[in-house]
Amino acid sequence: METIYQDILTYSIYGSAIVLVLIGLYAVLMKKNLTKIVIGLSIVDSGLHLLFVAIGYVHNGTAPIFSPAAIDKANKMVDPVPQALVLTAIVIGFAVTAVALSLVIRLYKHHNTARIDQIKSLKW
Amino acid sequence: MVITPVHYIAFPLLAAFLIPLIGKINRQAARIIPGIVLSYLAFVSVNLMIEVQSVGFITETLAGWKAPWGINLVFSKFSGLLATLISFMGLIIWAYSFNFKKVDTAISLKYQTLQMMMVTGALGMVLTGDIFNLFVFLEIVAISAYSLTALYRNRDGAEAAFKYLLIGSFASAFILLGIIILYTQVGTLNMAEISVRMVDVSIGMKTLIFTLFAVGFGIEAEIFPLNGWAPDAYSQAPGPIGAAFAAIVVKAGVYALIRVIFTIFDLDVASEFLIYAGFVTMVIAELSALRQTNLKRMLAYSSIGQMGFVLVAFGIGTQTAVVGALFLMFNHAVIKGLLFMSGSYLVYDTPGKEINALKGIAKQLPIVSFFFALGAFAIVGLPPFAGFWAKLWVLTAAAEKEMIMLIVIILLISVVEIVYYFRVLNKLYFDKRKEGVEVIKPTVQAFASMSVLAVTIIVVGLYPDIILGFLKNASDTLMDKSIYIKNVLGENMN
Repeated sequence: METIYQDILTYSIYGSAIVLVLIGLYAVLMKKNLTKIVIGLSIVDSGLHLLFVAIGYVHNGTAPIFSPAAIDKANKMVDPVPQALVLTAIVIGFAVTAVALSLVIRLYKHHNTARIDQIKSLKW
Repeated sequence: MVITPVHYIAFPLLAAFLIPLIGKINRQAARIIPGIVLSYLAFVSVNLMIEVQSVGFITETLAGWKAPWGINLVFSKFSGLLATLISFMGLIIWAYSFNFKKVDTAISLKYQTLQMMMVTGALGMVLTGDIFNLFVFLEIVAISAYSLTALYRNRDGAEAAFKYLLIGSFASAFILLGIIILYTQVGTLNMAEISVRMVDVSIGMKTLIFTLFAVGFGIEAEIFPLNGWAPDAYSQAPGPIGAAFAAIVVKAGVYALIRVIFTIFDLDVASEFLIYAGFVTMVIAELSALRQTNLKRMLAYSSIGQMGFVLVAFGIGTQTAVVGALFLMFNHAVIKGLLFMSGSYLVYDTPGKEINALKGIAKQLPIVSFFFALGAFAIVGLPPFAGFWAKLWVLTAAAEKEMIMLIVIILLISVVEIVYYFRVLNKLYFDKRKEGVEVIKPTVQAFASMSVLAVTIIVVGLYPDIILGFLKNASDTLMDKSIYIKNVLGENMN
């Protein structure tokens, strides 16, 4: 029973990470509204973050803090590195989203629309 | 105070955050800070370069955590060379943009802050020994580059920046995914340790990780077809920023790609990829440059073509070729810097930055036109300028490997380069000037910084031995990854 529960948990976490990335990609590639594209980018990021945290997870693990009480459980600790990295990645994602939204506002002021198919003064 | 590689990151980052605060008290002081910091970094570079030639390798552990666990900085003969190049180009670009009318006005403080952030990020990318840290510094470069592209607050600037941001976000997602998968395979983020443990990773995984990194870093390094951002960003950003993109951002992107390929993967795996990707990039970019009517877009495409050439040279992979590739990178920073600096004064206020608007401008701006001509001669590889020697080294390397097709194509591409640069020169010097068109005279600082670059081009062209010694040492360090691993992890780890 325990293992089945564990399998379901594992699959659902990895599965939702992949689904999040796909949803984000769909939004970036198919949506016409600039704000929706930015939201899509941020969903892709969330998916990757979830994947990263899931990789460091140990079933029934404890928080990775060394203390006298936890010293004999050292191999049951979750991996702290992905958690630290995800915190950094979240901050980076936040900064990118902020810059992106400010650009969207500026584009909206200039063009009076936020639809990407009506904004093309530069050619690719 | 002992000079260590961490000064490269600490001082510009501190300056970037101090500039807005000091700007509240005294604007003039805030404008001068970047110059002071970058001069200090140039001084650090000279000291460390002298030290590294005798010691061979400088590593620094941060916060007391030894190499595989903590973040370390590596100042080798290769990364040191690029750090030196970036610091000096940063200083020259700062001098150029001082009193540059369009950036040094009300938006000056933002410009200075972002420029310092960009230099910090590029130096961090070059020096770090940790792959996640590399990603963080890449994002610092990318975010400041997006903002700098949109510095003008006009319509096209915002659009170019948004495009760059979309592509750049994809790049960072790819790199992050690559790092995640790499971490599951090797369980470490230190590049030296990854390199040791990479032998246990299956071929399929290696290919997947390599593809993710190649796409991700390829976007910063302007590999076709991932370079859609470059022409817009270069042409919409103000002149000094275009020069900074060529001299700093792209250098850091190529460095990351090369570091990943040479240290984490084997060159044998990637050699063909580099040659083909570089080759396609070079051909398509140079042919696009031929069609451009906008001077800055032309320079941008030429810049992409040069980067393709660098990748081809790295892909050939012999010692001669790597020396040639490093020489090309040095040239590209200096010469393309000069071309962007002089070019942006030539097209200063013309609306479309059209090449046709330059007719006969040499009479009004003789010295700037001379600098542009010098840059054009140097970049197409006419002797005795700096560009000639780099091309010679790469062609020699290709000849040693008997890649005849490659030699033929490189020479044909050089002809294409000559055609589009000389078309501009022809307009500059031999066409009749329309009456009553105003031009803007460069400032004293701009003259000084362009003269420094011009003198460098001529001196290196006449006496290439000045830098060849450094380039050879750098290529030796880059090609032998056991040196890197041994120096980062210590003798007993292996």
